[in-house]
Amino acid sequence: MTSHETGAAGKPPSPRVLRLAVAGSALLMVGAGLVFFYASHQAQARRAANAGHETLITIRDHACEPNDLSVPAGPNSFRIVNQSQRAVEWEILDGVLVIEERENIAPGLSQVINATLQPGRYAITCGLLSNPRGSLTVTPTAASEAAAKARPALTAFIGPLSEYRVYLASQSSALVRAGQALKDAIQAGDLQQAQAAYGAARVIYQRIAPASQRLAELDNRINARADYFEQREQDPAFAGLHRIEYSLFQQRTTEGLTPVADALLADLGELKTQLLAQSIAPQQFTEAVVRSLRNLAQIRSSGEEERYSHLDLQGFAANLEGVRKVIDLLRPLLARTGSQPLAAVDSAMTQFEQHLQALRGAEGYMPYDQVPQAQKQQIAADADALANAIAAIDQALGLADQ
Amino acid sequence: MNKTRLALLLTLAPLLANAAVDPLTLVQPVSDYKIYVTEKVDQLVSDTEQFTNAVKKGDLARAKALYATTRVNYEAVEPIAELFSDLDAAIDSRVDDHEKGVEADDFTGFHRLEYALFDKNTTDGQGPIADKLIADVKDLQGRIATLTFPPEKVVGGAAALLEEVAATKVSGEEDRYSHTDLYDFQGNIDGAQKIFELFRTHLESQDKAFVAKVDKNFATVNTLLAKYKTKDGGFQSYDKVAERDRKAMVGPVNTLAEDLSTLRGKLGLN
Repeated sequence: MTSHETGAAGKPPSPRVLRLAVAGSALLMVGAGLVFFYASHQAQARRAANAGHETLITIRDHACEPNDLSVPAGPNSFRIVNQSQRAVEWEILDGVLVIEERENIAPGLSQVINATLQPGRYAITCGLLSNPRGSLTVTPTAASEAAAKARPALTAFIGPLSEYRVYLASQSSALVRAGQALKDAIQAGDLQQAQAAYGAARVIYQRIAPASQRLAELDNRINARADYFEQREQDPAFAGLHRIEYSLFQQRTTEGLTPVADALLADLGELKTQLLAQSIAPQQFTEAVVRSLRNLAQIRSSGEEERYSHLDLQGFAANLEGVRKVIDLLRPLLARTGSQPLAAVDSAMTQFEQHLQALRGAEGYMPYDQVPQAQKQQIAADADALANAIAAIDQALGLADQ
Repeated sequence: MNKTRLALLLTLAPLLANAAVDPLTLVQPVSDYKIYVTEKVDQLVSDTEQFTNAVKKGDLARAKALYATTRVNYEAVEPIAELFSDLDAAIDSRVDDHEKGVEADDFTGFHRLEYALFDKNTTDGQGPIADKLIADVKDLQGRIATLTFPPEKVVGGAAALLEEVAATKVSGEEDRYSHTDLYDFQGNIDGAQKIFELFRTHLESQDKAFVAKVDKNFATVNTLLAKYKTKDGGFQSYDKVAERDRKAMVGPVNTLAEDLSTLRGKLGLN
């Protein structure tokens, strides 16, 4: 994986390297899913080449090296090398809000994270949730100040951002009700009902996932996968929706889930409170959506998220609904700056939607473990294309990193 | 502390002449206002359902009793409801708005029903008007749900509500058949006060004396209205309010409207 990045960013390859690459490509063809990895890494290499300052961070089993960072404001890239034993995440936090993150960095591999940072002090989550937080100090530069001045009138964003907050209010209320229904079914010991309630709750969660995932700790309590816990499924700290999913779909029981459902319901109530209390800047609005789509393309398209229930397609469709909400809210602003980027986003949304619809039968979406590999790759490509199109909107609105 | 927002504010401050308010901090009150409007419109829909059902069943007494309390939810959210001019005409136009008067085909909505119920004392033939009213109100509900509220309309709405009371409604023109005007006034004043409350923190941070003055003027107007409250929680008939007492309301309502007309400027939304 790293060799692609080097090749793409470096000098033109020699014929010998080319022959090796051909052989390498043949090998790549063997492994399903690697085509989209290739595409995403090309994109990563491009982003790395565009970014200014690069910082190398090594994740060890129990901390990062270095754990305290200082970088200039503006475009930054962070090369995260995972020397720990498992797939982990690395995040930049502003208070409880996620500014930038990369999930599921595989052991022994590296990922480049690009972030345009405003001056200030941030915290870093590094690997396991129990690891100590790192710190990041971002110092101001003349360029960062100038970039801030180039933004469009902020008043233009009050309407769209207000409307999104209303959307978060109604969806998070619905999510609390869904959490209650899930708890009721679990308490009644009704497995079938509980499985259905799980699916319903996931759909609502996925609509607002980009906003929820900015709330790092709370979101982890609600949505963390087993991998993030020392003893995985057996870890007593493993909780939230996926813990419930594990019991309902893998173990096929509601037994022992009542306390988990209770805690989840409390966390969903807290989620509503925090979503309504958070302030989203215009730039973060689209960034959160782009990040969520990249995550879908690079990680979740494998089916890792709903590994016990295989309800991934429902989640992807709900993600798309949430994206559509954001785009529709920005539509009036975009229409002012020219229709080109907007048309590209609309066509990317339509394409993604059509491919998802094609996997829908009379009984709803296909279980994801039955979706052919080629279609999974298509979903990843669609999500990535949509993320690219939305990133271009950032530029049209003057919100871009560059 | 949100660093991004702070950084933006610090760098943009010199560019935003006359605006001491960080625009992004207006997101919360503007969205809270939409939530308020949504709740009011939900109530309007369910109340209108009961009101129009009474009309269609020919229950004259019940229809009359429900008329004022049903409308009041419309009056409270008028700054937004009236953004949809076609629906505003269909739901809330007065007979004067129609060239052909009461018999005009397009004279529909609350005041057309008011005319039948209170002036003609009948529900006869009102079924189609009732059906159209509930359909229009539901249409309004749907449109509000998808509307991005323009912040300047929200903030400007407080003054607009009261200006109309002082300028025309105080004459009793709005509910000329039922004389339930005082319900409408209360709805308008509550709607204006809600907007003021939502931006209170912003306004207090720049002009405490202004906020105190507005508070006092709202109290004055509310006290004036309270004089006409009845024991059942309603209001007395407006035709029983003497001309002199009607005129006495104009001054305080106008003062309040003038105060509130400065909100847009104070919040950087001009």
